[in-house]
Amino acid sequence: MAAEEAPVGHGYEGLPGDTMTSSVTIDIVKERMKEFWPAEQVRVNRILVKTMPDKIHDAIGAAQTLLGYNRLITISTMDNSETFELLYNLIAPHRIIITLAISLPRSQPTTPTVSDILPPAGIYERQIHDLSGITFAGSTGLKKNILNENWSGDEQPLHKEWKHGPYTFYGGINRERS
Amino acid sequence: MAVLAAGLILNLVNRARMTSPWITFFNSGACNACDIDIISCLMPRFDLERFGILAKGSPRHADILIVTSHVTLKQASRLRRVWEQISELKHVITMGACGASGGVFHGLYHMMDRVDKVIPIDVYLAGRPPCPDEIITAFVTCLHLLEEDPDHGGKEWRQKKPLSGMDTKGFPVIP
Amino acid sequence: MPDVVIPIGPQHPALKEPVNFRIIADGEKIVRLELDLSYNHRGIEKAAEQRDFIRVLPLLERVCGICSHSHATVFAKGIEEIMGLSIPPRAQYIRTIIAELERMHSHLLWLGVAAHEIGFNTLFMWIWRDREAVQDTLEEMSGNRVHYNMNEIGGVRCDLTAAQVDAALSRLPALEERIKKYLEMVNSEETMLIRFRGVGRMSKEEALKYGAVGPTARASGVDYDVRRDDPYLAYAEVPWNVVTDTQGDVYSRTRVRIGELWESVQIVRYCLENIPAGPIRVNTPRNAPKGEILSRYEAPRGELAHFIRTNGTDKAERLDIRSPTLANWTSVAMCLVGQNLADLPVIVAAIDPCLACTSRLTVVNRENRSGVVVVRASLNGSILPGRVDMERP
Repeated sequence: MAAEEAPVGHGYEGLPGDTMTSSVTIDIVKERMKEFWPAEQVRVNRILVKTMPDKIHDAIGAAQTLLGYNRLITISTMDNSETFELLYNLIAPHRIIITLAISLPRSQPTTPTVSDILPPAGIYERQIHDLSGITFAGSTGLKKNILNENWSGDEQPLHKEWKHGPYTFYGGINRERS
Repeated sequence: MAVLAAGLILNLVNRARMTSPWITFFNSGACNACDIDIISCLMPRFDLERFGILAKGSPRHADILIVTSHVTLKQASRLRRVWEQISELKHVITMGACGASGGVFHGLYHMMDRVDKVIPIDVYLAGRPPCPDEIITAFVTCLHLLEEDPDHGGKEWRQKKPLSGMDTKGFPVIP
Repeated sequence: MPDVVIPIGPQHPALKEPVNFRIIADGEKIVRLELDLSYNHRGIEKAAEQRDFIRVLPLLERVCGICSHSHATVFAKGIEEIMGLSIPPRAQYIRTIIAELERMHSHLLWLGVAAHEIGFNTLFMWIWRDREAVQDTLEEMSGNRVHYNMNEIGGVRCDLTAAQVDAALSRLPALEERIKKYLEMVNSEETMLIRFRGVGRMSKEEALKYGAVGPTARASGVDYDVRRDDPYLAYAEVPWNVVTDTQGDVYSRTRVRIGELWESVQIVRYCLENIPAGPIRVNTPRNAPKGEILSRYEAPRGELAHFIRTNGTDKAERLDIRSPTLANWTSVAMCLVGQNLADLPVIVAAIDPCLACTSRLTVVNRENRSGVVVVRASLNGSILPGRVDMERP
């Protein structure tokens, strides 16, 4: 499949001041980010690094300075039963995506904000706070902004066990009817 | 005599409405497919303006309101407010499967259950999204209703009967 | 002097989508912008967890009517990669043709709407008349003008016949001529130049800093295009170029989009002429193995990213959509500061906002006494979160 090839540097001249002209390999990442947890290559052009919530700020700073990552693709959330997972996906001119993953305990879903070093993160953090209830310490503007004004404050739609109401079938196929 | 004059004037007004209805759109949280098809109706291929239909931005200038999409919770109050601003005699067309029952979005947590709960609807247009030919059909149906309603004394003759509960299988019973 | 707040509410004739702008203006200059984008939130991500892979594709197509094929393709491509399938080349070419036709119809739509925003309604009507040629082609191939529903996990739903290919090829030369004419108009027509040039300028560093994607970023010189960086479908086999520009104002964005229109016509022609024969789908297993993937795609508006996690059942466990318009809102908020009030529709339209895609919305701003908003630009140009105090001296 064509997606297996990741043409690095194909048609790209480099941003001014950019010293990363060679591709970032798993060994380079392991070496430069070794104070965080080990890295693994999950796809030809994506590397996953797991770290702790209190180190995420430094991890992103290290990714930006040492590995040249300058763009945030997205911040994704996952709701496992006991933990929340947050995945920060960053990309750089050398086209290798790095995913920094942290796990938050269900009982205390707070993590420091990274929107001071990564301005686009502010948008995603607000969104995640509204729908999942994860608080980003140090971020302002965390108000209810996606859901309706009359939405009650303690309902988090993206939690796994949240259901719309006891007798309304929720999207999908209504098993009783079919 | 006065009654006759009033009847004539009413006829004239109705005729003006039928030959040149002005429309306005309200997008209540849609995927925009219906909206692009409405705008395509006004474009040179399907040109609605040659029939006298003008698309106006303000609800106060319009006769027919077109509502796209299944109403989200947030838009429900706005939709009601916009509908109240249209002066009588007004008609509402909902577009697509979203307006009729919700389509793929039925039962989602931020959507109202039925659009009927917010405003009374006159024409349900089927399609996902309806293509411009079908939109023009909806307008023509609306104009026919404009013509027929005075004979029946208003809109009540075609109001949907309220549902009287569910039967044992969970389907609504229509009397 | 008290601030003048101009609300442009959810029902407005400018954009055909519900969005609430509250503009704080000082005379004609915009001082601050507050957005409320949440009218379109439908809760699709939660619904996608309850539907299996066949039923979730129509739901995802309806995230947005203009870039419907993008959402369905990026999800299908992600699931196929998790399952480890290899898609037959004919299916890839057909998907590419539909994707590029969608890009063409979206850019033509945008061009017409941009002309409408500056009051040039004649051009609006001309462009949308030419757009009907693209819609006819799509209707012949897939059966519908929007929401084509061509994707299945494992390939495409229906094949292209020789008659459809010939009909599509015969419409392309007329389109090419019109695109050339529009480019000439944008470059030389005085009304358009005055309204587009120098308006909403964004430099390369700002585009990178605020995370702009798509033609908005490429117009500022940022050279990111997912079709070249991470090739998918048939883009690695088709010769095409990435279109960038340097100025970063609305004029550049227009030129970038017209350039992409041209490139799309060439890609469609190449694919139609060189489409390989063969099957159009493969058999797929019902359940997807456990895995996660970040699937990216170049939608007409920019880079679309779906983060999908599966857990061995026939449903996706988590679907996280990052739409391109979401990434562009910060940059538009920044380029609006200091511009004239009358340029607001043009600048907002220049990022080609698709609010339905942004169905998980953010950019907040509920005004309270201290005026908390999105981003803050301080005097030395650094970015601090929190107060949006977008006054430039």
